[in-house]
Amino acid sequence: MEGTQVTRIPGGAIPAVDEVDLTPVRTYWQLVRQRFVRHRLAVIAFFLMAILVTAAIAIPLLSGDAWKETSLERINQPASLTAPLGYDSLGINTFARLMKGLQTSLFIGFAAVLVIVFIGVTVGSTAGYFGGWVDNALMRVVDIVLSIPTFFLILMLVAFWGTGNVWVIIIAIGLTGWTTAARLVRAEFLSLREADFVQAAKALGAGDRRVVMRHMIPSAMAPVVVAATLGIADSVVVEAALSFLGFGITPPEASLGNMLTKAQDYFYRNPLLAWYPGITLVLVVLAASFLGDGLRDALDPRQRVETN
Amino acid sequence: MARYVVRRLIQAIPIIVGISIIAFFIVYSAPGDPFDRFRSNKVSPEVIANLRRVYGLDQPLPIQFVKWFTAFWSFPFDNTAWGFSITDGLPVRDKIFERIPSTLQLMGTSLILTIIIAIPVGILGAVKQYSIADKVIAVITTIGYALPTFWLGIILRQIFAQQLDLFPLFGKYTFGKEGDILDLLWHLALPAMTITIVGVAGWSRYMRASMLEVLRADYIRTAKAKGLASSRVIFKHALRNALIPIVTLLGLTIPTLLAGAAITEAVFSWPGLGYLGVSAVTERDYPVVLAFAMIGGAMVIIGNLLADILYAVVDPRIKY
Repeated sequence: MEGTQVTRIPGGAIPAVDEVDLTPVRTYWQLVRQRFVRHRLAVIAFFLMAILVTAAIAIPLLSGDAWKETSLERINQPASLTAPLGYDSLGINTFARLMKGLQTSLFIGFAAVLVIVFIGVTVGSTAGYFGGWVDNALMRVVDIVLSIPTFFLILMLVAFWGTGNVWVIIIAIGLTGWTTAARLVRAEFLSLREADFVQAAKALGAGDRRVVMRHMIPSAMAPVVVAATLGIADSVVVEAALSFLGFGITPPEASLGNMLTKAQDYFYRNPLLAWYPGITLVLVVLAASFLGDGLRDALDPRQRVETN
Repeated sequence: MARYVVRRLIQAIPIIVGISIIAFFIVYSAPGDPFDRFRSNKVSPEVIANLRRVYGLDQPLPIQFVKWFTAFWSFPFDNTAWGFSITDGLPVRDKIFERIPSTLQLMGTSLILTIIIAIPVGILGAVKQYSIADKVIAVITTIGYALPTFWLGIILRQIFAQQLDLFPLFGKYTFGKEGDILDLLWHLALPAMTITIVGVAGWSRYMRASMLEVLRADYIRTAKAKGLASSRVIFKHALRNALIPIVTLLGLTIPTLLAGAAITEAVFSWPGLGYLGVSAVTERDYPVVLAFAMIGGAMVIIGNLLADILYAVVDPRIKY
């Protein structure tokens, strides 16, 4: 860590003022924030994600059942102050429905990523900590999961085990997506296992559980957080694709994917209906990927990829 | 090299067995069965029971698995090796093989277009790093990379087929024009454009990064210092090495060629493998779904192996 060294004079004499490095000592998190803020696109992405999440929580809360309320008088009414995107062929407020759909998509995206992190960290840390045949067996499982085309595997799970069930979708994405996180944690663990502070903890008599949970996992989380943020983008797109094909969230529930399906029936009368959920989806993907890039530079500078 | 390939193929055996177990049990132990939709008071329960017996669904799962798995591998000689489709009773192998040409046409076209466009774009971005052109390319490829493929397909279809009426909405041939190459190309345009746009966004970023890496090498500086024309340095010295990672990417793209574009095929009703896979899932056509999962898994394994072999072929520094 630069900026933390202080010139020490042998014998404990008080150092002369001009020999002392007066740069303020910065903690890990201050450094992280500094590096993150330097990444301009990541900061924009952070605010974009914050706006999307706030809107997805607040607007359905404030507008109540507007996202599913049909009305004969309002069919295909143009945009107004309470319905910025007008009303659809059932008289539903398109904007309210879009925000409800965004809520569903973001919920699935975040929840699936939590499942991914949970499985990935469990498998990766077990493999990396114990090594040997445990590691070998777990890594073969990773190879197998990686070898089945992901989207098709998710499609099979969702279609056969619970079409339209939010939790089945989340678990299906989680069960197929954990391999990257597991590999990252395993790699971190292989090097952490030999680290001095881990050896010290063991020497002081800490058990496996304590060493892993208290000492190693916190140090191995940086690449996982990055992968998880990037994973939000993938999960949201997978949900949209599933719902578009009719296996994900089914009407009357709203999701960005099933709004796209419905838009297909009205492309002549209202072609814009396909644009709203699509653009929302692209915004989520862009926000998550730039946020992930920024977090990588901030949390884990070693992994930095030369992008420009 | 031959020993390496043999070793890799042996390592693939447990993976294939693992894939088949996972796929089989996801499909066959799922609640319900393919004949549920026939159940009504007009169909006697005996008919359903009979159907279940014909397809072997009445037997215990492990026995079904062993029967299916052992029969599976005789597919080169026996068109019934993969069982019969529940939807139409045709041999699964024939149903799948008949879709391969369509998928190869769509994916081959898209892949060639992607390479033709992405490589020059990537080179331009790297050679003119930080220029206006580089920044414009970066913005376009970033957005292109964020576009969900199926949504792009929907939008392209909406603009070019529905609003401008330049291309057909879906399918491979106009009715009555089967086999007409011009008609095929006309139908191919939109799905191929969809896959190409997303492909170019990814590949050109990869190409740019690879080229930048090479341009920093000492031998490039030497070539420039010798006074060689920059076009010669770029195309003769740098490009060859910058293409090495791209060749690997080619191997890794193979699985997506056959299965990955399922949703694009579904959007355009393109009669390829991916569309067959999605429809089979919709119809709970278990034997077709399983065969599709196995082919997908095999493609991933072959693609990875091919990527490693190609890597050694194009880069003499790598030896196995």
